Amino acid sequence: MSARSFRSVFMVASCAGAALGCYLVSLNVASERASLEDVENRIVLAQRDIRSLQTEIGTRGRLAQLERWNVKVLALSAPSADQFLEGGFQLARLARPQEKLNVEAPVVLASAPAPQPTSPSLVEGEPTVESGAGATSTAAQLMRQASLKLPEHDEVSPVPAPHRVAEPAKVPDMKQKAVRAAELKPAPLKGQKPAEAKPAATAKKAGDKKVEAASNPVTKPVRMAKVDPLAPLPVKANLKKTTKDSGTAR
Amino acid sequence: MNAPTPALVAPRPERLRLVGQRRQVLTMMHQRLMFGMLVYGGVIALIVLRILYLAAFGDHAGAKRGLTSLVPERGDIVDRDGVPLARTIDAWTIGLHPKKVIGDKLTLARKLAQLMPEHDEAAYFAMLRSDKTFYYLRRRAAPGLVEAVNAIGEPGLALEREPDRLYPQTSLAAHVIGFTTIDGHGVAGVERAFDKELSDAASRGRPLQLSIDARVQQALEHELLFAMTKFSAIGGAGVVMNIHTGEVLAMTSLPQLNPNTAGEGSPEARFNRATLGVYELGSTFKPFTVAMAMDSGIIKSFGQMYSCPRELHVYGHTIHDTHPYGRMCSVAEIMKESSNIGTAQIADQLGATRQKAFLQKMGFLNRVNIELKERGRTLTPGANWGPLETMTVGFGHGIAVTPLHLATGYATLFNGGVYRPATLLKVDRAHAAGKGTRVFSEQTSYKMRSLLRLVVTQGTGKMADAPGYRVGGKTGTAEKLVGGRYTSAAVVTSFAGVFPMDEPRYVMVMMLDDPKATKETYGFHTAAWNIGPAFGTTVSRIAPMLGVRPDKNREPDMSMVLPFVHEEARH
Repeated sequence: MSARSFRSVFMVASCAGAALGCYLVSLNVASERASLEDVENRIVLAQRDIRSLQTEIGTRGRLAQLERWNVKVLALSAPSADQFLEGGFQLARLARPQEKLNVEAPVVLASAPAPQPTSPSLVEGEPTVESGAGATSTAAQLMRQASLKLPEHDEVSPVPAPHRVAEPAKVPDMKQKAVRAAELKPAPLKGQKPAEAKPAATAKKAGDKKVEAASNPVTKPVRMAKVDPLAPLPVKANLKKTTKDSGTAR
Repeated sequence: MNAPTPALVAPRPERLRLVGQRRQVLTMMHQRLMFGMLVYGGVIALIVLRILYLAAFGDHAGAKRGLTSLVPERGDIVDRDGVPLARTIDAWTIGLHPKKVIGDKLTLARKLAQLMPEHDEAAYFAMLRSDKTFYYLRRRAAPGLVEAVNAIGEPGLALEREPDRLYPQTSLAAHVIGFTTIDGHGVAGVERAFDKELSDAASRGRPLQLSIDARVQQALEHELLFAMTKFSAIGGAGVVMNIHTGEVLAMTSLPQLNPNTAGEGSPEARFNRATLGVYELGSTFKPFTVAMAMDSGIIKSFGQMYSCPRELHVYGHTIHDTHPYGRMCSVAEIMKESSNIGTAQIADQLGATRQKAFLQKMGFLNRVNIELKERGRTLTPGANWGPLETMTVGFGHGIAVTPLHLATGYATLFNGGVYRPATLLKVDRAHAAGKGTRVFSEQTSYKMRSLLRLVVTQGTGKMADAPGYRVGGKTGTAEKLVGGRYTSAAVVTSFAGVFPMDEPRYVMVMMLDDPKATKETYGFHTAAWNIGPAFGTTVSRIAPMLGVRPDKNREPDMSMVLPFVHEEARH
């Protein structure tokens, strides 16, 4: 009974509730839409800001300005035709590692065989020193041996000197020459020179003294004797000097 | 209490009548009330419905209209890579409402004169006291000035924003882009030619894309300006074109113009020498004459001989050469040393009719075909086109065309012989290249390559060579007409060239107006000495940008010309 009498009230209440619910939904939708619009607006504003900033950057960094900086400061110029490469291989060629000079092994070994055939001729001059050097064939000594020939060849003097003076002076003299050779660097070339140059020199001499040269090709012992005697004079005086001094003095 | 009860007293007829009337009145009143209520309820229902509708679909108070899209007031202009060349921005405007001024007018006038010195105090004071309602004090005001004016705090001073045209690259391609009035109407260049598209609300959202390449344009402008300053020329012009599509990649005219302040530029600076100025371009015409003769079957090989005396007397005039041969010379030699005498004879054989027909087909007798409105009328002998005029036109005198004409002519000659109008719009799907018409045969076009390459490797154009880029071209030095007489004191020097010559792709024309001789040029003011070197440097700058690879091992087929060049014995 009470339910029947309150029916209209319930109806009104449910209608009002439904209407309120619908209104709330639409309100919600409207507010969502408003916030979406707000975001869209902000996007447009941001785009406008981006545009104006881009314009400003573009204006400040305009090509004419870059050109002016280039002329005044950077001085870059167009690449020449040679600076263009065909491909990866050409580029790789540019980056080829530089060859390093390996001082140790190859230099010494190249010079090593050269002096040995000539050494027999030295036997008469100074047999003990030469053979000793040949026996203990470390790389450093081989180099000395090779360089030893050059000064001999150069310092030929017409002044004859006694053999005995030369012999005692031999050991320190060698040290001096070794230092010189080290300074004069390309050991293999000089090491080979004496071997080849000596016959040539003899041939020249032979041209001068035809008959004697033809009959007696081994004129070296005489020359060896001449070489060493030159050294003794300063050697005797400078024996106490360091090897370095004499090396630089020359 | 003597009132009769209804039951006891028989109702009187008038009483009965009264009761009926009351009932009637009551029902009527009910009806009226009901009607009024319905009307009232209806109105309320309408209002409620409207409110509900507005709540659901209506706008709210905070809605901002007109901001949802970013369509500028006037369309942008961009280059072929999208670099902006012209844009519309919001600029500040300072206005004055004299009626609304409340402060001391004299002090205000003093302050305004300090801030904006274009008028003096008296002028500002007169403005403030006048009866006019509004004055513009400054348009496109700088932000600093706006801030200072705002700091005065005078309500009579109005600060507003209004759209303003800005050219971010300043003078770059100024003559191509043009400029607008302060109200935003194009008055020159592309701004004028495409005014409708740029201001139409439907199309201004899309930027207008030009065929101009900003980097190429900058290189061309810089090198040309350098040459112009170095040789104290009064002006210059330059054009770079794609020979196959007719796209203008760069076009410049000197002296420079800043379109942001176009009004301050001199008339000389506003003048577009590339399309509006017509010049007698001299020897750069010779390749056309040779090509016409080849197409007409007059020249069968570059070894064909002509007599090249030191002077040629024809029709009462004497034609001279700068490098006279004084002997027989081949067509290759005529071209190599740019012999007027030789070319005049070729043109004479060709005849006026054929010459005119060819020039007509190349568009040399009409205004140049391009979108711009600033196009100069070419000057030709017209009705006096006799044999002598045919000869002079043959070597580029007596006919005045624009540098753009020359560029299109060279493009026609080297793209296989097809004339195509020049265009300032990028050629792509939206905009097709102009319709081509055949002028020269493909054979002629091919053979001419080696001839023009010869000019650069051995002839007058040596200094225009850019190593590796196979430049081919022709120098031109034309005397200027001063006071009705040709004078050697003032010349127009030009160089028209194509690169790479073994497979031509781009044509460039550079021109200097009245360059002077300097110490480095040994007193010469011919094209070989001033515009030639500038051409070479420009090519080596722009060719890599245009995708032309330098290659020192490639050359066009020179076997057609080299056998016909007489080598001087060297001792």
